[in-house]
Amino acid sequence: MRRAALFVGLCVLAWLVWDTGADPVRLARGVPWILDFLRRMVPPDLAVLPATLLGALKTVEIALLGTAVAAVLALPLGFVSARNVAPPPVFYPARVVLNLFRSVDTLVYALIFVAAVGLGPFPGVLAVIAYTTTSLAKLYSEAIEGIDPGPVDAVTATGATRLQVLRYGVLPQVLPLFLSYVLYRLETNIRAATVLGFVGAGGIGFYLQTYLRMIDYPAASTALLVTVVMVMVVDAVSSQLRARLV
Amino acid sequence: MIEVAGLRVVLPPAVVAVDGVDLVVRPGEFVVILGRSGAGKTTFLRALNRLVEPTAGFVRVAGRAVTGADPVALRAARRQIGMVFQQFNLVRRASVLDNVLAGRLGYVPTLPSLLGRFPARDRDLALEALTQVGLAHLAGRRADTLSGGEQQRVGIARALAQAPAVILADEPTASLDPALTADIMGILKSINTERGLTLVVSQHQLETALAYASRIVGFRGGRVAFDGPPAAVTPPVVDAIYGPVR
Repeated sequence: MRRAALFVGLCVLAWLVWDTGADPVRLARGVPWILDFLRRMVPPDLAVLPATLLGALKTVEIALLGTAVAAVLALPLGFVSARNVAPPPVFYPARVVLNLFRSVDTLVYALIFVAAVGLGPFPGVLAVIAYTTTSLAKLYSEAIEGIDPGPVDAVTATGATRLQVLRYGVLPQVLPLFLSYVLYRLETNIRAATVLGFVGAGGIGFYLQTYLRMIDYPAASTALLVTVVMVMVVDAVSSQLRARLV
Repeated sequence: MIEVAGLRVVLPPAVVAVDGVDLVVRPGEFVVILGRSGAGKTTFLRALNRLVEPTAGFVRVAGRAVTGADPVALRAARRQIGMVFQQFNLVRRASVLDNVLAGRLGYVPTLPSLLGRFPARDRDLALEALTQVGLAHLAGRRADTLSGGEQQRVGIARALAQAPAVILADEPTASLDPALTADIMGILKSINTERGLTLVVSQHQLETALAYASRIVGFRGGRVAFDGPPAAVTPPVVDAIYGPVR
C-alpha cells in the first residue's frame, strides 16, 4: 500500500517535471545571465529615489485605504457567514459568496478595475477592497465560530436583543482577533499592492516595471530596495501592534 | 413564582434530558435541585428561561409565560430571571463593570447600548450590585484577572443587576474549591433572605444542598425523585436520588 503510494507519487512528480519543462541544465545556463543582471543593478541609481519613494508611499496608501474599507465591509459579512450566529438560510449562501470572491486574487481584480475605471491608484484600492473584504470576512467568521458560547448564553439570559448579544457576548471576544487579522492582511496587501503597479494600478510596482522595461537596471534596483525597506518597515510596525493585541 | 407543568426536553439527537417535570416554586423559597451529573438539572434550569427550547410542557415565571412567548415577550420574561453559571460565563476581556452592566441590557434602549452607552441610573444599579457582592473596588479590572471565586461573584452581580424576581444558579460552586463554596452559597443565601428573592440552585453535593436549601428537589433520570424539606432527606431518599451505592 505504502509502496504503491510512493510509486504513484514518483510518477506524478516525473510527469510534472516533464510537463513544466523543469530542467536544471537550463537553470545552470541561466545563472551567468542572472549574475550579469545583478551586476548591472549596482550601483543603484539614486537619482530616481524621490520618484520611487513617492511610488512606495502611494503603494502604502493603496494598501491602507483598501484594507481599512475592507475591514469594515467584512464585519456584517463575517457575522452572516458564522455558523453559530447566522441561521442556515443566511449562512450557506454567504459562505458560497465568500468562497467565490476569495478564489480570485487581488491582481486579477486589479486587471478588471483598471479596465473599468482606468489607470492609477484608484483601481488598486478597489482591487484590494474586493479581495480583502471576503478574505477578512472568512477569517472573522472563523473567529466568531471559535468563541466561548458561555458569555453568549449569559447575555442572552439577561433579556438582551440579538444585536445586544452580538455586541456584548460576541464582539468583545473576537475584536482583538479581528484587529490582528486586519493588520496581518495589511502586511500581505502591501506586498500585493507592490505588484498591482505592474498592471497599471499605481504605486511602486509601476516604477519597477517601467525601469525594467527601459532596461534601466540601476533605477530598477533603487525601486527594488525601496520596496524591500517599505515591506520591512510595515511588517515591523504591524507585528509590533499585533503582539500587543493578543 | 415559578410554575412548571409537564416539562419535557429532548436534546438532539434523541436524549430525553427532562422527562415530564411538574414543579411549583413559591416566592422566597431557596430550592436546591439535587442530583447526579446527567440527571437533567442543567437542562431543567436552562429550559426555565429557554436557553434550551422545551419539547413539551409549560413554564411561567413571575406571572409571565416563558413557553410560547414571542421574542419580545420572551426577553421581558428573561429580564426578571437572573442566571448564574457553573463556568461564570463572563466576557473575559471586558471589565468587571461592563460584565455587570450586561445585566441591564434588557432595560436600556438598544441603540445607545450598542454604542456602549448606559444611562446613569443603570450604571448606579450595576455598581450597587457589585457592592452587594463586595467587589465594587474591582469594577475597572479586566474580568479574567480575577480569581475564580471573584469571577463567580461578578456573575452573581450581573444577575442581581437585572433586578430579577428569580435567580437560577446552575452548579455555581462546581468549578470552585470547597472553601469558596461556602462563600458563594452564603452570598446566594443572603440574597434570598435579605432581598427575599426566589432562588433555584442546582447542586450535586448533598451536604451543601442540605446546609442552604429551604426545599430540596431531587432529580433522577430527568424526573423529580424527591420533593421536600432538607429535614426529610433520609438515607432512603438519598438512595432514591443518587441510586444505591455500588
